[in-house]
Amino acid sequence: MTKKTIWKICCITVVIMAILTFTPLVTPVGRTGPEVMGVPYTMWVGFLQTVILVLITWVGTKVHPGFSDEEA
Amino acid sequence: MGRTLVIFGAIYLGLLIFLSYRNRSSNSSSKDFFLAGSNIGSFLGLFTFAATLFSTFTILGMPDFFRVHGVGAWIFIAVSDLIMVFGILWFGYHLRTRVDKASFMGMAGFMAAVYRARWVGYIMFATAFIFLIPYVAIQIRGVATFLDQAFPDSVPLWVWAVGMVVVMLAYSEIGGLKAIIYNDLLQGIVLMIVIWIIGFVCLDRMDGLSGMFEKVATKNEALLSVPGPKGLFDFQFLFGSMVAICMIPFTQPQVSCRLVIMKDHRALGRTAMGLGVFAILVILPTMFIGMYGAFNYGDATAPEFLGNALIKDQSGPVGALVLIGLIAAAISTADSQIFALGGETRSLLYGEDKKMMKKARMAIVVFALLSLGFALMSSDELVLLARASFAGTALLGPLVFFGLFKKDPSLFKLLPILTGVSVLILVGANIGLYAAKVGGLRLDLILLGLLTIVALIGAATTKGTQL
Repeated sequence: MTKKTIWKICCITVVIMAILTFTPLVTPVGRTGPEVMGVPYTMWVGFLQTVILVLITWVGTKVHPGFSDEEA
Repeated sequence: MGRTLVIFGAIYLGLLIFLSYRNRSSNSSSKDFFLAGSNIGSFLGLFTFAATLFSTFTILGMPDFFRVHGVGAWIFIAVSDLIMVFGILWFGYHLRTRVDKASFMGMAGFMAAVYRARWVGYIMFATAFIFLIPYVAIQIRGVATFLDQAFPDSVPLWVWAVGMVVVMLAYSEIGGLKAIIYNDLLQGIVLMIVIWIIGFVCLDRMDGLSGMFEKVATKNEALLSVPGPKGLFDFQFLFGSMVAICMIPFTQPQVSCRLVIMKDHRALGRTAMGLGVFAILVILPTMFIGMYGAFNYGDATAPEFLGNALIKDQSGPVGALVLIGLIAAAISTADSQIFALGGETRSLLYGEDKKMMKKARMAIVVFALLSLGFALMSSDELVLLARASFAGTALLGPLVFFGLFKKDPSLFKLLPILTGVSVLILVGANIGLYAAKVGGLRLDLILLGLLTIVALIGAATTKGTQL
């Protein structure tokens, strides 16, 4: 897989994750479970989401097509 | 606590003076003074972005937001911030490649150049001015109010406010953006240390993570889900906030200029990555403090809760450090915003550099005094006023992105005209001339949606894209 393809996947994943934020998958109205170590659902899913976004950003810095141009 | 506060305060002030003095001699041109020579590495870049973005509303507003509205506050700010961080990587690159680093002075001047119309620059500047001055004011107001309540028998509130503005102006005027950036490094570190010390204390007193949520559930279970007890975190609020926050790097000049002045694209990438980690680390403890407040001070007012949780419930030295951290958080954001307005002014001035720089430096003093005036009159609703600021400047988003991606944006002047009209409409709603909702929809979202549609129509009907 080329860097450009991975970069596109990163961008699409971030857009999908942003959309998912407003669905019951991340923000179910009035629901606190299932909990993880006592942490309510929206909180731990939201936290997981931020960690994943950091990881995607990290991958993004490695594969950004413009950064490769600079390297060259 | 008094003696400890004096010691910490003296160390902090000493470091501010030292860093400003050290950078004073290198400001021979507008480029050096307003853009720090456009050669910032990722380490300084991270802290200057962080200190500029995470302000008083992080340390005072977010704990209270978690206390009153619950865990949805994480979605509102942390998730939105992390999407914004990726946006810095994604669109920050395009901004940097479009901007001519050699002539860039500010976003207003840049937009005036790409749209080939000075009045477009004035719209950019006026919007930033209208929505940033109140934001700066609430930073100053928030901390001055807090200090006033922490030391009720000392000096009046306005003395605290004037003191902060004087310190901020002094080091900005002496050292320029470079001094601000070095001071941001200091302030970012102080902010992080302070917020984690209080966060740990609160978490420990709530018997750890699971104990904390168990206790909060006994008081008000609605805090543990969206939309929260008061129903604030509905789709419109969360979506509108995310859009507004994601626009910040491109529509708020204090952040945009930091994108441009990074040494190279890789430094920007590393900064974005670090900023994501910083955002999580700085927001997480505010949740601990907020949950502690929900259990212990659920019915208290915001100042009562903050005074107790941040000062009275902490040991003397920690309380003193909190006060320094608060001042650091307030002035590190406020100085960047005021200074950026000065930079925007400079970008719209044409003439001999020394003379124009002098005018722009005088403008900084005027902006600071205006902010001080607003600070003494404004309300105490930190987070909601901050959000109003983000939402206001977000209206510039379609204009900026059209300017970035179209080969010749000047062929479609309808967009800047409608942007100016939209800003005026939103200002009217913000000052209460009419309702901020139309048919149940938030006015800021409607306006942003309409501007986006107009920009897309413009993109489809005018020739050529830049990329």
